[in-house]
Amino acid sequence: MALLEVQDIHTFIGQFHILQGVSLEVPEGSITALLGRNGAGKTTTFKSILGLTPPRTGKVIFAGEEIQGRPAYEIASMGIGYVPEHRAIFTNLTVEENLRIAERRRGDLKKRADFIFTLFPDLKRLARLPAGHLSGGQQQMLAIARALVPDNRILLIDEPSEGLAPILIQELMEAIRRLSAEVTVLLVDQNFQMTSRLADRYSMIDDGRTVRSGTMADLLKEPEVIRRYLGAVI
Amino acid sequence: MKRYRATIAFVLIVGALIALGYAAFGPQKATAALLSGLTLAALYFLLGAGLSLIFGLMDVLNFAHGILFMVGAYVGYTVFGNPRLILNTAPLFLALAVGMMAGVRLGRFIPAHRVLPYLLGIGVMVWGVRGFPLRPLVAFEPTTAGGAIPTALAQEPLPRMMVRLVQLALAGLLLGPAFARWRREERRASPWRPVALGVGLAALAVLLLLGRDGLEKFLLGLSVDVRFLLALVAGAATGAALGALVETTLIRPFYGRPVTQIVLTLGLMFAGAELVKFVWGKEGRPPMAVPTAFSRSCRSPNLIAWLTEQCFSIDVLGRAFPTYRLLIIAIGLLILAGVALLLKYSRLGMIVRAGVQDSAMVEALGINVRRVFTTVFALGSALAALGGVVAAPFIGVYPEMGSTFQLQAFIAVVIGGMGSYTGTAVGALVLGLARALGDTLVTTGIALPGMAEALRASPAVARASTVLIMAIVLLVRPAGIFGKKE
Repeated sequence: MALLEVQDIHTFIGQFHILQGVSLEVPEGSITALLGRNGAGKTTTFKSILGLTPPRTGKVIFAGEEIQGRPAYEIASMGIGYVPEHRAIFTNLTVEENLRIAERRRGDLKKRADFIFTLFPDLKRLARLPAGHLSGGQQQMLAIARALVPDNRILLIDEPSEGLAPILIQELMEAIRRLSAEVTVLLVDQNFQMTSRLADRYSMIDDGRTVRSGTMADLLKEPEVIRRYLGAVI
Repeated sequence: MKRYRATIAFVLIVGALIALGYAAFGPQKATAALLSGLTLAALYFLLGAGLSLIFGLMDVLNFAHGILFMVGAYVGYTVFGNPRLILNTAPLFLALAVGMMAGVRLGRFIPAHRVLPYLLGIGVMVWGVRGFPLRPLVAFEPTTAGGAIPTALAQEPLPRMMVRLVQLALAGLLLGPAFARWRREERRASPWRPVALGVGLAALAVLLLLGRDGLEKFLLGLSVDVRFLLALVAGAATGAALGALVETTLIRPFYGRPVTQIVLTLGLMFAGAELVKFVWGKEGRPPMAVPTAFSRSCRSPNLIAWLTEQCFSIDVLGRAFPTYRLLIIAIGLLILAGVALLLKYSRLGMIVRAGVQDSAMVEALGINVRRVFTTVFALGSALAALGGVVAAPFIGVYPEMGSTFQLQAFIAVVIGGMGSYTGTAVGALVLGLARALGDTLVTTGIALPGMAEALRASPAVARASTVLIMAIVLLVRPAGIFGKKE
């Protein structure tokens, strides 16, 4: 059964009809990739799921409950972690505060500290530093770590490899693979090489519409489709 | 070096102001001006802190902030000198609020037809307050401990007041549904909490009315000090309640529409000033009585001696300086430190600091940002109202005090850097000093060599000097001293 299901959502930003029918399913325990060119509507899909840009029509079903139209904080509290594009960590807070602010119950951070600091050992060393002093890679780790602090059942991770050195991308991939043992992941990344090796399933959107979805293994058998929709060559 | 540029700028400006003062007026007058400047700075800070926090977190330029300063002053003044007015009006407000709470909840079940009840509600409200003896109730003088209010027969008999109570509750019930759409469905853990709150408030309204005579005697029998404390608490609490009300009903529907907000809050400022004039009259009132520790008519040679003598003024280099103004400075410093600690160490403070940078991300973490907005709005309003009460024994109360102080507070916040807490404190200090030096310049003038008489400036120069300083600071640092680049 799908943990998260999006059914034919339409989202407007101002008067622009950005999403014109996006549907996707994220089975519990999987890593699902959301594929598409720049501007296809991947980030808007994330924001629509979270209620930051609520869809005008269509349904978003999380753990069997319809969540569209609810305020974003309520949706997030149900167990959806968001790792946005450009990280959006709080640069004037310390690393530790960035993690502590994500607590939904007192003591969340303490409970998860071991898990988080084994995944990202750097963060423990930097805990007292203002987050603005961190390198791009460290900020990305912090953004993911922040989403791991509360009991989230799914993480929406947007463009984690953007602007990172190849060696860091490897490290990050490994971290996402390891955390996926505990939490379901919906992933957007321009780096198709990385995504295709991580994800079990995919959903592809083009011009604000879902055009295909299925298992990653099947997609890799169709280089023609990949070239047409993503411009990527394997 | 770059990191300390703001601090260096600040030290240079304050240093230059102080040096200028000493060079032009000599140590005696300059020290007096310095202390006056600190007093003004404390008041500017109390107003500016809320302005800056609200702008930083919510991007709202609250042009109605001065209202809260003024309302705080008037409410504090009234609690201090004329509790009868409060005891006769507070129950009516409570009844209206209880009715509205019920109406808002009922409104969720009525999808349409809200305009007619709303108009009807306004009618019932007018019916409920018609003939209320406001004029005689308001006529008051500041009384001393144990004194009586010179409005013996102003109160209406209890049964008449009870009828008004019911009328206003009904008015609230009719008005409430119109506001229902602005509140989202909230799945509350306990549906009984709002009910309990409503019943509690209604009971409080009735009890206040039934016990009004006894309470009034009791309040007037209290010492000046206790009544001063009561005035502080009542002023700040009124400010917080009013701030929360304004945020939830008037500001919330217009987030992300800055022009609407500016027009709305500016209009509120004018409406508030007129309302205060309507209730308390166009003329201001003389300064409120100061607490006993600052009231004996003598002059203490120093602070240690003042502790035992409790004089009205203290000797500063041969000149008298009112000790109450030192209390204003102390309260300003206390609030400065208190809010700084709150911002640095509490969870609310952490959320506010994060929200100043990216409130959407804070919400995406599962935090109810709207509730944080309301809390911060209420907190900022409470600080402004507290500033008003503290200012009442210093400058008295008058209907223009809100807009006057708000303008200065805005200049202070702009000088310091919009949205920066440190900047607000710094801006208030710079502005307070500049203003006090300007005033000294007006009253004493500068003796230039070769001139028989000292060069005097008109009062307009003192007022203009603050704007001049703002212009200079903004030319050099467009975002203010501690402001971040856009």
